[in-house]
Amino acid sequence: MENLLMEFISNTGFAMADYRHIIMITIGIIFIYLGIAKHYEPLLLIPIGFGILIGNVPVFKGLGLGLYESNSVLHYLYFGVTSGIYPSLIFLGIGAHTDFSTLLARPVLMLLGAAAQTGIFITFLGALALGFAPKEAASIGIIGGADGPTAIFLSGKLAPHLIGPIAVAAYSYMALVPVIQPPIMKLLTTRKERLITMEEPRIVSKKEKLIFPVIGFLLCCFIAPAALPLLGMLFFGNLLRECVVAERLAQAARTSIIDTVTILLGLTVGASTQADVFLTPQSVGIFILGAASFVVATASGLLFAKFMNLFLRKKINPLLGAAGVSAVPDSARVVQMVGQAEDPTNFLLMHAMAPNISGVIGSAIGAGILWSFLGG
Amino acid sequence: MTVDIGLIESLDILADLKYVEMEQLTSLMRKMKVTEGEVITRRGDGAHAFFIVFSGDFMVSFNDGRAITLHNKGDIIGCSTVVAPFNYTGTATALTNGEVLSMPGQDFLSLIKSDPALSDKIMKKINMIISERSPFLGTVTR
Amino acid sequence: MFGLDAISTHNGWHMAALGISIVFTGLVLLSIAVAQIHKILQIYDKRDTYIKRIKNIFRKKNNLESNSSDLSLSEKVNGAVSQCRILIDKMGEPFSLPRLINLSEKYGMSHPYSTINDLINAGFIVPDGKGYFLWNQDDKKIIRL
Repeated sequence: MENLLMEFISNTGFAMADYRHIIMITIGIIFIYLGIAKHYEPLLLIPIGFGILIGNVPVFKGLGLGLYESNSVLHYLYFGVTSGIYPSLIFLGIGAHTDFSTLLARPVLMLLGAAAQTGIFITFLGALALGFAPKEAASIGIIGGADGPTAIFLSGKLAPHLIGPIAVAAYSYMALVPVIQPPIMKLLTTRKERLITMEEPRIVSKKEKLIFPVIGFLLCCFIAPAALPLLGMLFFGNLLRECVVAERLAQAARTSIIDTVTILLGLTVGASTQADVFLTPQSVGIFILGAASFVVATASGLLFAKFMNLFLRKKINPLLGAAGVSAVPDSARVVQMVGQAEDPTNFLLMHAMAPNISGVIGSAIGAGILWSFLGG
Repeated sequence: MTVDIGLIESLDILADLKYVEMEQLTSLMRKMKVTEGEVITRRGDGAHAFFIVFSGDFMVSFNDGRAITLHNKGDIIGCSTVVAPFNYTGTATALTNGEVLSMPGQDFLSLIKSDPALSDKIMKKINMIISERSPFLGTVTR
Repeated sequence: MFGLDAISTHNGWHMAALGISIVFTGLVLLSIAVAQIHKILQIYDKRDTYIKRIKNIFRKKNNLESNSSDLSLSEKVNGAVSQCRILIDKMGEPFSLPRLINLSEKYGMSHPYSTINDLINAGFIVPDGKGYFLWNQDDKKIIRL
């Protein structure tokens, strides 16, 4: 009996845990705290935080409990991440949720979304320089797209072993957009520039909104076919939203489907951060590069907006460039916040949504390009 | 046949509407061809649809053999779709081949109910037409 | 391998340059396409107006042809005048327009609806303002179609 008791005690989490588990559990608790107390992306940080707790309870190998064991429940759920199912379904929900009016009203602002994607490719170069393999470097670079599902999708295709740190880095920095972006925005713009007010956008007709997802899908996917799983779902979701006659499907896509997938994605990505695969020097590199990619993406958007102003008759507020780093709608909110800090009557949110949404499209195209370059 | 917004824009009766309001109406409308002698609405029947004359000439006959004729693009047939007791008060017949824009009465009514501003504009016009027609006065002529 | 060597070895410069160029090209093309949608829709929505303008130009050129079609319409109206006069005399004035159409149909008038409509348009039949109709006493002064 004594032996049995000793065997049981040795198999408990208390006996098997080491300092790495404690560190990861602490990180999980911090995520949950940030989500609940600070309202930083609670819909993502709470499932990921709890997933980290799930993934870091020390368990027996071979019992089919851990996420990386082929017969475990978590492993089956994680299949949605590695196969790219969850990111695609999230894009469906985003499409069904997003109103593209502002983008259609001022298509020129889409260029800011393109400019901010420079962050992806500069980080890719940085990761290569730090010694990462090309596929890993591409997966790390996509963090600069500031789009969690896209980062997970590409990592799942190119570097599945890095999904955990990449997803955690991407979502952490997305949650920290209100902290990371404002100093860069203030540094790279003058007060006079931040005070620029934007023209009221024109009213966009229903027909335009209906045609856009079809044209947008065909054009983007003909240019970068590898972006098909993400952009196909994004534009399909938007068509469901705009066609009105399929409102039930649109409603399902933007509520129950995206919510279910977010839970599964967050939880399994969190659970994939098991201490032994997460706490590595590589992860530290990923976090450093991830932060750098956010900074570069924000700066690229801002600087390109200033560059555009050299040619535009009616100047645009360069703060809008910062919204080019997807992170919908947080980076647009940050633009609004920084703009209003200078002039409380200046409403930039609506205008910032255009580069913000085009950033989503741009990062998906970027992911498609990297996948087609390195996927073979 | 679906209706284009340009067609709606060309109608005087809807000229004051905003583009978005016109779009709402357009989504409900269907263009219908009618032939000479075709009965479009029958007096006493439930007013299930509202019509706007697009081309052609029409006669609306009432009690005691009274009638008015409609010859203009934008003339309205079936105001009863939005006025209680929601039964057609006249029989509308096509005098010539032509085209009308039709709109299901229920949809039209719900659109009007859902948008007070739009309702105000449209009902003003419809009330004007009803007051013109109620005593079976003047024929609307070219 | 680290640093610039690693980038060059893995073809990083080319991939990055091409990648960002494709993203830009994609979004530039999309923004150009999007900027055209509302212009194309405007033209499509106003196509009736454009068709009318073209038709008007065409009509001016073919004025002579339309004069001859007016002539045939005028003959049709003149033929119906005597037939309707008889029926109206029988009904008495003011008369009911639906009844006149019924009688005309009964007495074998071809296309009674459009024919009587022509008489209204030509000014032979006029409303009395109370829902009934009258034969225009000044029918001699009517400008024939």
